[in-house]
Amino acid sequence: MKTFLNILLVLSLTTAVDAKEIKLLNVSYDPTRELYQDYNAAFAKYWKAKTGDDVVVSQSHGGSGKQALSVINGLEADVVTLALAYDIDAIAQQARFLPADWQKRLPDDSTPYTSTIVFLVRKGNPKSIKDWDDVVKPGVIVVTPNPKTSGGARWAYLAAWAYALDKFGHDDAKARDFVKRLYKNVPVLDSGARGATTTFVERGIGDVLLAWENEAHLAIKEFGADKFEIVTPSESILAEPPVAVVDKVAQKHGTTDVARAYLEYLYSDEGQDIAGRNFYRPRSERAAAKYAEQFAKLKLVTVDDAFGGWQKAQKTHFADGGTFDQIYQP
Amino acid sequence: MKLNQLILVSFAGLQFIFPALAGDETATNSAGAVPPEIPATVAVSSAPDSSAETAEIEALKKEVQELSQKVSALEQQRELNQPTNATASQEQIEALDQKVRILGRQRELDQETAAAAAKNQPRLSLGANGFSFGSADSNFVVTLHGVLQVDSRTFEQNDKVPGNDSILLRRARPILAGTVFHDFDFLFVPEFGGGTPGASSSATTPSIYDAYVNYRYSPAFQIQAGKFKAPVGLEQLQADVNTSLNERSLVTDLVPNRDLGFELHGDIAGGVLSYAAGIFNGVGDNRNSSNIGFQDNREFDGRLFVQPFKGTELTALQNLGVGVGGSWGDSSITNTLGLPNTTGGSQPGYFTDGQQQFFAYTNGVVAGGTHWRLSPQGYYYYGPLSLMGEYAISDQDVHNGSHSAELQNTAWEISGGWVLTGENATFAGVTPKHPFAPHNGQWGALQVVGRYEELNIDNDAFPFFANPAASASEARAWSVGLNWYLNQNIRVNASFSQTSFTGGNATGSAANTAPGSVADHTENVFFTRVQLCF
Repeated sequence: MKTFLNILLVLSLTTAVDAKEIKLLNVSYDPTRELYQDYNAAFAKYWKAKTGDDVVVSQSHGGSGKQALSVINGLEADVVTLALAYDIDAIAQQARFLPADWQKRLPDDSTPYTSTIVFLVRKGNPKSIKDWDDVVKPGVIVVTPNPKTSGGARWAYLAAWAYALDKFGHDDAKARDFVKRLYKNVPVLDSGARGATTTFVERGIGDVLLAWENEAHLAIKEFGADKFEIVTPSESILAEPPVAVVDKVAQKHGTTDVARAYLEYLYSDEGQDIAGRNFYRPRSERAAAKYAEQFAKLKLVTVDDAFGGWQKAQKTHFADGGTFDQIYQP
Repeated sequence: MKLNQLILVSFAGLQFIFPALAGDETATNSAGAVPPEIPATVAVSSAPDSSAETAEIEALKKEVQELSQKVSALEQQRELNQPTNATASQEQIEALDQKVRILGRQRELDQETAAAAAKNQPRLSLGANGFSFGSADSNFVVTLHGVLQVDSRTFEQNDKVPGNDSILLRRARPILAGTVFHDFDFLFVPEFGGGTPGASSSATTPSIYDAYVNYRYSPAFQIQAGKFKAPVGLEQLQADVNTSLNERSLVTDLVPNRDLGFELHGDIAGGVLSYAAGIFNGVGDNRNSSNIGFQDNREFDGRLFVQPFKGTELTALQNLGVGVGGSWGDSSITNTLGLPNTTGGSQPGYFTDGQQQFFAYTNGVVAGGTHWRLSPQGYYYYGPLSLMGEYAISDQDVHNGSHSAELQNTAWEISGGWVLTGENATFAGVTPKHPFAPHNGQWGALQVVGRYEELNIDNDAFPFFANPAASASEARAWSVGLNWYLNQNIRVNASFSQTSFTGGNATGSAANTAPGSVADHTENVFFTRVQLCF
């Protein structure tokens, strides 16, 4: 018995000595703060139970495009969870920190949750904003971040463009004019979605915020349904924020396995539940059903269907000299 | 009172004055004449025809009713207009409020943009640490420093060695340092000073003192290539501007100065252990390498230095450091370059604190074979106290014609100081708490320093390799000094050194030149220095 206890003691000491503290940096886009705060705690608990190791995940948030540029310029992200695939493509292409086919490494094109763009208006909807047509009316003040730096802003821009294409029988010129009118109503461009939300919610600027669906729900949860309302347009875009391990950095840090597990766990029941709880549309049927009531049903177009994919959309609309540069007059 | 109420009251008054207006025909008839102030329309109603009067009265009633209705309508209109105006005003206020908020936010965003842009601007700084400019990300930095030392040396018994008193530019060095691509440092130091009595031409004409590139993989792993101080002597490795006295001790006579080579070095555990090991061309004692060195053999230099309490909570021991430096070379050189420097004389040899040669190899002596050095060393700094100690052995094979010998020369020194004004003394000097500003009653920092040192020449050096009648076999010196740190950049020193010798009582012509002219009497020299460094 004594020998057995000694063995147990040695084993427990060995385990204690072997336990490691692993540090990960997740570079993410603006409105995911609350999601990953919940998720990091859950994953740390899961990983501790599975391996005995402690995982401390640090977060960096900002406009998605800006964050991608930071990673390219040396911010040592073990994983990136950005607003759109183009930004991770940029890391793969410009810095070669991960392979070009990174999106195939996880299910659903490495997009464990989705979202869309809705309108957040002030209580009572004083400007009677019901759809995109109301947003472009003269005199309506629209708040949305800069598509050059914010992933959410690019999704919003494309959502408006897609609506206009449908409305005007796929007439690009009319769609362009429609979006031009929209941006004529935008007096300030924040660099990220969270900044734009602050501008609208806390600074009291504007009549309508073109918001991530989760961000709009969060604003109401935080500031109260007596102050804001969510207006769901008839049509919007299916926003697919992807995730990826930054291979070169993870290899350098020796964190490849835990980084991969960190992203895979987003697809687990708990990961999906946390996504739904934070107003992201879960991929799993189970979590989607559980949170179905909080998401309005609307027509959602994809960037692939409406714009031929992110590469083309980026080049046409958001690259230097692209459509956005042409139509936006600060 | 509202307008319709006023009219109704007026109408009631008329009824009081003219009861007929109230439909009382009797009263109307009894009224008689019409008062002159009654309006014509009313006056007409006082006509005797009752049906006509009734009609007129009805007409008047109707007219009054219409007027009343109009007044009511006007009042209603006015009441309606009031909230409309209020709403319009409120909308205007809200619109203006939005504009103000938007302008405020735009201003903030502009400031954020400007701040972000500023981060990408090249950085420029000028201060006590020199002039520096670099890229925003600090990957590229160029820094300009400088050292200027204006010395005076005044010897007692001046008649013994005429012409050795001097005011001189001891050092005049513009220093260019920097970093490229974040991890590659460089240093370039030319020397325009010198003027040491009897020094070789290399010491008096502009020459390159340091020129190297250093790659920093990490603080613990760095590789350096070029011309720089060989890692052997402790005081030799201390910066020229931070030595406690004007001139380094006799120990420095036995260790290499700057040499050409490659060195692996680093600080482990935050400087608890420092190491350096390199391969060099190899130079004689206290020699500076020229910029080329054609020879087939190399010298290996290395040094280990440990500060075991650095970073601990034992503050009294944090700046205690001990180490050992050494070199080994097997030179086939058969000329004088492997021998000591010629400072203070015409032949290779060793010199005093006053930079006068007290020992010289005789003409014809060359180095050849093994040359090794060993130098245990240490320092201790705590508050205003500074202590340094060092020992050196220089063991060298020499030849003079058919004579060969392995000469082992040794030296040691111990020095100390105390900062009277209470500042901390460090290996990197003293930074005054109150820089010199007499108008504000600030005078900088004062430090007293002292040193004792000895250098012993191997007895086998005499007589085949050195003239015992001219060269001393031993030098012993003590020094005291006062250092005044006006600020981080300006320092003024005054010190006195006395060196006495064993041997070297030259006569005849040997007594007229160094080392004979130096070693035959005790050297007493008073130094001053005004130093600028940034």
